[in-house]
Amino acid sequence: MNSTVVTSPTTDIHAALAQAARPQPSRWAQRLGWGLLLVVSGFALLGPWLISADPDRQDLLNALAPFGGHDWLGTDPYGRSMLARLAHGAQLSFLLALLTTLMAVVPGVLLGIVAAWRGGWLEKALVALADMIMALPGLLLVLLVIAFAPGHFIPLCLGLALALWVEFFRISRARSAVILQQPYIEATRMLGFGPGYILRRLLLPALAPTLLTLASFAMSTAIIGISTLSAISVGVRPPTAELGSMIVELLPYYAEAPALVLLPSLLIFLLVLALQLISGGRKS
Amino acid sequence: MLRSSLWGTVLLGRALQAVLVSLLVGSLCFALMHSLPGDPAMRIAAGRYGPDAMSLQAAESVRQELGLEQPLLQQYGRALWQLAQFDLGHSLVTGRPILEELQVQLGHSLWLALASLLLSLLGIPLGIIAGARAGGWLDRGSQALAIGVRALPPFVLGLLLMWLFSIQLGWLPPAGFGSWQHLLLPALTLALGLAALSCRVSRDAMAEVQQSAYFTFARHKGLRGLTLIQRHGLRNAAIPVVAYLGVQAVYLIEGVVVVESIFAYPGIGHAMVHAIIARDVPMVQGTVLTLGLLFVLINLLIDAACRWIDPRQGGTR
Amino acid sequence: MSLSLRIEHLSIRAGLTLLVRDISLTLTAGTPLTLLGESGSGKSLVMHAIMGSLPDGLQAHGQIWLQLPGQPAQELLRLPAAQRQALWGRTLALLPQEPWLALDPTMTVRQQVQEVHQQVRGLSAAQARQQALDNLQNVALHDAVVSQPPVAERYPFQLSGGMCQRVAIAMADAAGGQVLLADEPTKGLDEALRDSVAQQLLREAAGQRLLLTITHDLQLAQQLGGVIGVMRGGELLEVTQAQQLLQQPRHDYSRRLLQADPGRWPVRQPSWTDTGGQLLEGRGLSKYMGGRCLFSGLHLRLQPGQITAITGPSGCGKTTLGNILLGLLPADQGQVIRTSGLTSLQLQKLYQDPPSAFAPHLTLAQGFNDLQRRHGFSDKELAVLLERLGLHPSLLQRLPAAISGGELQRMALARALLLKPRLLLADEATSRLDPVSQQQVMLLLGDLCAEQGLALLLVSHDQALVARMADQVVSLEAHGVTA
Repeated sequence: MNSTVVTSPTTDIHAALAQAARPQPSRWAQRLGWGLLLVVSGFALLGPWLISADPDRQDLLNALAPFGGHDWLGTDPYGRSMLARLAHGAQLSFLLALLTTLMAVVPGVLLGIVAAWRGGWLEKALVALADMIMALPGLLLVLLVIAFAPGHFIPLCLGLALALWVEFFRISRARSAVILQQPYIEATRMLGFGPGYILRRLLLPALAPTLLTLASFAMSTAIIGISTLSAISVGVRPPTAELGSMIVELLPYYAEAPALVLLPSLLIFLLVLALQLISGGRKS
Repeated sequence: MLRSSLWGTVLLGRALQAVLVSLLVGSLCFALMHSLPGDPAMRIAAGRYGPDAMSLQAAESVRQELGLEQPLLQQYGRALWQLAQFDLGHSLVTGRPILEELQVQLGHSLWLALASLLLSLLGIPLGIIAGARAGGWLDRGSQALAIGVRALPPFVLGLLLMWLFSIQLGWLPPAGFGSWQHLLLPALTLALGLAALSCRVSRDAMAEVQQSAYFTFARHKGLRGLTLIQRHGLRNAAIPVVAYLGVQAVYLIEGVVVVESIFAYPGIGHAMVHAIIARDVPMVQGTVLTLGLLFVLINLLIDAACRWIDPRQGGTR
Repeated sequence: MSLSLRIEHLSIRAGLTLLVRDISLTLTAGTPLTLLGESGSGKSLVMHAIMGSLPDGLQAHGQIWLQLPGQPAQELLRLPAAQRQALWGRTLALLPQEPWLALDPTMTVRQQVQEVHQQVRGLSAAQARQQALDNLQNVALHDAVVSQPPVAERYPFQLSGGMCQRVAIAMADAAGGQVLLADEPTKGLDEALRDSVAQQLLREAAGQRLLLTITHDLQLAQQLGGVIGVMRGGELLEVTQAQQLLQQPRHDYSRRLLQADPGRWPVRQPSWTDTGGQLLEGRGLSKYMGGRCLFSGLHLRLQPGQITAITGPSGCGKTTLGNILLGLLPADQGQVIRTSGLTSLQLQKLYQDPPSAFAPHLTLAQGFNDLQRRHGFSDKELAVLLERLGLHPSLLQRLPAAISGGELQRMALARALLLKPRLLLADEATSRLDPVSQQQVMLLLGDLCAEQGLALLLVSHDQALVARMADQVVSLEAHGVTA
């Protein structure tokens, strides 16, 4: 037998089988999510810049103006432009949620990787900390933090991030621990590569898809959290345009102008829906 | 012996969680009390005796009684010691003992939680039927509905239901408390969110079981139809569904807080939000602690159920 | 007419791709038929075509005639799905691969056998229970000594792999299917268990039953005897009496397959001579794990060009010893002394499962580029090496999962050789490869030792392989060591 025969690339029966047996899972839901996010975040980020009206300027003579007039989407009971308020509200929700998510992702992932890499007492201490946070339903913790200064942005974001980082920590730690156990990590070390290469080229790319899923879900949770807390008057407070507090504020005018309540609800719904579709229907 | 020690581990783990919850809540509330502007003794005295009867002497006697002139660390130890004895103190707003207030509110909240849990059970059979025919119209339809419901924050969902059943149809009172009709809307709001989650989880569990090697093998050995699903589908699918109730418990407790506030339902969550706005720290501590311990208790029940269903977790049947 | 199963011109397609081409076979009672081939040869598809459980999207063409005693013959492929499924259990019994995954984790094994009698055959609960216990007894699953819980009342997770396989056989017995289809019945089992499963299958086939076994395990095929069909690339190369095939294979591939069995390898000319040179020395090495002593006071010397085998049963600490010598694990006692100038980069390793030794998301070319940037070898060097190892350069563009295990292991070898190693640890490096690939990799390793003075540390449980390859053997036992 000649061991130096160059074999031609294998024809892969497994690939053909897999192809035939399982139709590719359709990605339309995720595409729809990205599309929606593009539209809603475009409105949230560019809207306040394009719309010249001041969201806080009252004009009581022009209260509850109907659709299609000077202010396009009409005005609220204080005569403030609904379009401008919606755009500013969406911008606030979007940016606060983004900030909250970043505040959760960065420490969560870094600590998760450090815990899996270092092990020992450091890992035990971090896990105990995470367990302590998980011992309480997230919203209760957020409310406790908010109690220090109700109505301010910082405790709101801080409280939400404090509840949300744990998931990033747990998943990054668990996944990293599995990956770091793999023979290819040992092989890479033996081939003379350092920890920087392993982190950059092997670990982070392997974590990235999961983290994107988690992050978009966390951001949807943050949006729900911010609007809910504002709606029960412990989050962002009027007169600042915030979608959740707008809904509650405008509810009494439902009979005269139903769109006033429905529009901010729709915005929240679309934003959350977009993010949840992107995260591919994570269950928790 | 092995079994009893397994149960011991479970109980110990949850007891530890209960201690952690108390420690976390107690510490944060202690910090909260001392972060408030002004003199805590004055605030407490005003709560106890009413703002009119409040005097410097009253404040001084409160200061003496509660040891508020002592070093911070000593006060902290004292606060935790009181907590360990279930001494939750008095409300700064009404002056009444926290425990008394909690008893009434907890009863109301438990009714709400129970009603919504029962209503939400409908999601499970729906999910199982959808999962048994994964890809069918019922599966697609229920999934789309579940995604839609989950994308609505509970307070928006609550307001929509209020609009539909109270304002449009006039069937149910929009808010308040008194009869079972007042319970129905908040319970329905919570139940919809819970059902959407359990429908999804049970659907995925059922679909996964059907893909499994043991389900395929059971078919190959000649079992069919309902017998097959009943004997090899349901119990296996129940394992992740029950494990997932832990996540549902988070949703339930958070939902109770939000929904009670929206519907002005006088439960413990409503009281908590009011206490936060009024900066009634002992009341905040009492309400958060009660809900936190309720969460631990629910988790303990779920642990027991998991062990009962899945022999690999070492339970008895 | 007596019991038989006749396959005529069976082809299986996925859309336009032909996966199995024109196969004809006959199964008769008393003569086991074994289809032998590597994974991907299409042998499992043939079995699923008989069963009627091909994955969606695959179509079977041709005819499969099932002749039951005293009944007209049925053509299975033409039966509607419901009628084919009615044959499951009652007529066609399938022994699953990896039965520990195929048993319901939430039911005791007795319940799982009993339900076949109760639900499929319609017996009463009491009768079904008794018969289930009999079935388990027949496959030697009963308590030799009283145990708690008794074997029959245990859950699958409380049983060994071999016991699970026997439970699956008991179920096939319970349903009374006359055609027994065994799908890789020894996958994941060690040698001793393999023999007991083979014995059990032969006992099943001795009665009025047909047995078709699908395997890549030459030893199993040999033990089952009867008729062996060799498959490759979706084609049936030859079907012969087992004796004849093993002695005089007709087809070239069959010949290679048989020769690839380590027991039949030509005796290797030892290229190494004791020159007194020394690369690495282990002095008084001891290691404990979980309170158990793996080995203690072990002395070992490795010389350039020498092939040293570490062998012994699974769990005896072979891999641990290899890793200690390479400096990947500390020894509890003793020391490893490297000759002066021997750097860590000159110690390299090949792993048991080649895909796990490569980052799954990087193409091989990306991996080699990173290595080139780190160590600066020339493109030419890589090209020459790949050719030497029989690897086509176009394979570099693929992800590790998209090439075969044998090719990937040679890629791992290329990766290690680029660093000019002086000692290579091959940790069960060929145990998951098909025999032909295994032989190819081992021959290459032997040649490299001779050509480059590379010292090879071979960790293997395969005695035949060790006997053909090694210049020096270290045997680890459950306790202690014989060197």
